[in-house]
Amino acid sequence: MAASVRLLARQLARLSRRNVFSTFSNASCGSGCCWRTPPGRCFSEAAEDRNTHFGFETVSEAEKAKRVYKVFENVAQKYDVMNDAMSLGIHRLWKDILLHAMHPQPGARLLDVAGGTGDIAFRFLDYVHYQQERQKLRAARSSQTPSWQDSSDTYTTDVGPREAKAVVCDINKEMLKVGKQKADSMGITSGLSWVVGDAEELPFDDDHFDIYTIAFGIRNVTRINQALQEALRVLKPGGRFMCLEFSKVTNPVLASLYDTYSFQVIPVLGEVIAGDWKSYQYLVESIRKFPDQEEFKAMIEDAGFCSVQYSNLSAGVVALHSGFKL
Amino acid sequence: MFKNVLSRLATESVRVHRHVKHTEFLKSFSAARVSVRSFTEAEDEAQPPFDSSLLDFIVCPLSKKPLRYDSKTNELINEELGIAYPIVDGIPNMIPQDARLLKKDGDASDTPAE
Repeated sequence: MAASVRLLARQLARLSRRNVFSTFSNASCGSGCCWRTPPGRCFSEAAEDRNTHFGFETVSEAEKAKRVYKVFENVAQKYDVMNDAMSLGIHRLWKDILLHAMHPQPGARLLDVAGGTGDIAFRFLDYVHYQQERQKLRAARSSQTPSWQDSSDTYTTDVGPREAKAVVCDINKEMLKVGKQKADSMGITSGLSWVVGDAEELPFDDDHFDIYTIAFGIRNVTRINQALQEALRVLKPGGRFMCLEFSKVTNPVLASLYDTYSFQVIPVLGEVIAGDWKSYQYLVESIRKFPDQEEFKAMIEDAGFCSVQYSNLSAGVVALHSGFKL
Repeated sequence: MFKNVLSRLATESVRVHRHVKHTEFLKSFSAARVSVRSFTEAEDEAQPPFDSSLLDFIVCPLSKKPLRYDSKTNELINEELGIAYPIVDGIPNMIPQDARLLKKDGDASDTPAE
């Protein structure tokens, strides 16, 4: 209730500022806010009454959540191996591109939702530490003879004014367990937290995070609009929403090749490597049911994000959507 | 000649086997002793410690209000709604369905919050 009121207030504020910022923001931002009514929470209908899709099946919303949970519970142990096998290792490039687009600065706070095995969080911490090293190196090179003040500063503060922190949130305990084990084996001790939480009801305070990412997770959320609203809530003003997700391949030749690969090869790989045909059948079907680039962009704008844009990776197999909370 | 070699081989292997058994027995005994010792110490910190810096921004997903950490039961308590979120392996579980209801007299029931 409070969320929708706040959303309305924000949209009104944005409308009043529209004339000033029309040159900066995309036309999409303005048109998005004016035309659609804020999608408030429908408390009238129960989750069991409304139907949604689970792959190509139609199920109730409550059932979808349960079945998605089971899918990821089953695949958790072999998740990373399967990712490498199915995408031929290209998923690593996609995630690296996400990090480069993000370009996080030292002291940034990241919330990685549906982060499961922690791929984005680990990359984030590496990137920030690398940035910090570069900054230190630059500072050391530029100052030939440091003053007494400068050298005493280096004794007291090891890191910058604030350490970058990443929080990995996932609804599935098994995926988080795998992620935590990976972190322990990599020897990451600080700056990383794990929380079991629902993307539709995030257990975090308002206006807290600099960056919100959800990589290959949002299509599994039952109510995507609710997840987008929660994302808006937990981001600081000026914070960035970034979403990596499978999307529509525009080129028809590539699209048919991709379809063949998806439906003939991936479930077989799933059976051979993870011993689970059905989960990977769900995975490729859920990709087809997810809205395409433009539609998802409109959904993000509806939630209240500004300057929403997307870029296609691998000819549209994956799309990186980005929006700002202003 | 071969009989000599064979008999020597047999006695050697028996001796080695017995030696191995003996050392294994000793090792297991000492290991048991060590594990007993560590068991009593580990009782106090059976689970990895909860990172209390999370308390700065973690809230109840239902009411969005801050939570209190109870180190005895290792849970995050929402006094207002009377529910407690468990912490398993240092990871707080903030799913409302997995939370525990707290009755007014301090006893807890096992029914989920929703």
